[in-house]
Amino acid sequence: MLQTGFDAIVRLLDVVSFRLWAAALVFLVGLVVALLIGRVTAGTLRRVGIPGAIEGTEFERTAREFDTSTVTIISRLVAYLTVAVFGFAALSIFGTGYVDRFWSDVAGFLPQLFVAFLVALIGLIVGDKVELVVADRLKSVKLPQTGALPTAAKYSVFYVATLVALSQIGVETLSLVVLLAAYVLAVIVLVVVAFQTMLASAAAGVYLLLQQPYGIGDEVHIAGNSGIVQEIDLFVTHVESDDDVYIIPNAKVFRGGIVRVRS
Amino acid sequence: MATLSDLADELVTDVDGLMLFSPSSGHYKRYSELDDGADVIVISQENDLNADTHVKLPLKFDDIQTRLRYGIEGAMDHGIVNDGDVVACSATVFGDDADSLVRLRVDDRMRSGVYALFADSRADPGVIRSVFEVAIELGKKGQKGKPVGALFVVGDAGKVMNKSRPLSYNPFEKSHVHVGDPIVNVMLKEFSRLDGAFVISDGGKIVSAYRYLEPSAEGVDIPKGLGARHMAGGAITRDTNATSIVLSESDGLVRAFKAGQLTLELDPEDY
Repeated sequence: MLQTGFDAIVRLLDVVSFRLWAAALVFLVGLVVALLIGRVTAGTLRRVGIPGAIEGTEFERTAREFDTSTVTIISRLVAYLTVAVFGFAALSIFGTGYVDRFWSDVAGFLPQLFVAFLVALIGLIVGDKVELVVADRLKSVKLPQTGALPTAAKYSVFYVATLVALSQIGVETLSLVVLLAAYVLAVIVLVVVAFQTMLASAAAGVYLLLQQPYGIGDEVHIAGNSGIVQEIDLFVTHVESDDDVYIIPNAKVFRGGIVRVRS
Repeated sequence: MATLSDLADELVTDVDGLMLFSPSSGHYKRYSELDDGADVIVISQENDLNADTHVKLPLKFDDIQTRLRYGIEGAMDHGIVNDGDVVACSATVFGDDADSLVRLRVDDRMRSGVYALFADSRADPGVIRSVFEVAIELGKKGQKGKPVGALFVVGDAGKVMNKSRPLSYNPFEKSHVHVGDPIVNVMLKEFSRLDGAFVISDGGKIVSAYRYLEPSAEGVDIPKGLGARHMAGGAITRDTNATSIVLSESDGLVRAFKAGQLTLELDPEDY
């Protein structure tokens, strides 16, 4: 009786080929391993302190809006890759004939795509974080002109991450690098030309603020204007006479020299 | 027979504007669109309700009269209300919720200069505000538990420096300390034991401490009984375009002078 039951099972197994069973088993194991790897990745990321480090970045905030988090997204990605790898393994066990040239190409390409995706993701997060950190550092510098710096830092990181990601999936990036160089050069030229007087004034202003050759309350002649100094900042000096207030760029102060009236 | 709501009706009939002083968001939402066409004016420290007509309070002004006066003067200055308008003011006197209603006729003679003290001074409003905060803090805590006096002259620093002389070396020489910097409270607390005045520029830079002010006190009208510090602080504002903020050592009040007049009196203990 037992023998006939066993035979029935063996016959049932034989209906489907042994290879299919092995493939199914591999795929099942793959699912379990993927689940585990996803868990471990999430746990490791949390323990390393990733959620705290990226708190407040735009990516994390967007992720939160969709009721998920960056850590979840990354661990899911890792899990999906594992499933895909085991899927291909299962396919190849089932029969190499099924995995033709096209699929093997895709199989080789998949890890690259995954790395590219990861690099882009990390680039996004690091860029956001860099923006926050730079903005935080600059908070003590009371100059509205520094407002553009954090954004510039963010997009630089984005750009580099994009380059790395693209080169990962085999896109020719040399032209993009050349483009970046041209862009940076253009920005530098623009800054030098457009802000020439501002920069000169700021350089002079640094000297004036540090050395204080004249102070608030001194009577001075500067660039043909005379009066009492009311205010000195990085870019300009306010000199007030009885009727007028002269706002003199610091570059001019340096070029023309200062006459302090001794009373 | 009159009912209780008649009492409130009497206060709000034919008003041209409703002034909400630091309303809660629910309070504002309920009264922001009025059927009878009265303008709604929000007066608060930050316009976080995005009200269309808003007057910014520089300080909390615990004294209700000062607060109402500041709001009305600010609204007059913005041209929101005019001489002869009648407004109803909803404000908080005790606790946190709006608990009182005041009916007021706007009058040009109401101008006491409280609003002008902040908005129309030479120095930035933020600088004056910061100096007030420092003076209030100093008045509350004193120096090592003892009451302390201080005199801050804000704005028109060049002229003030020429109308004063140093009592000793200037501890702020070649420094770049601005009021509002976090370290300033501590520094000023330590330096407040020095005699003389602090001079602060329009932009908030602390130019000097230890200054002996030499204005002519002629024709300066300040209440009798205030000492030499107040007299000097009041007089310098008549000779220059500066604003003086004085912390009294004897009664602990913070007073502000502008154009030789006492314009504002605050008790630090209320803040």
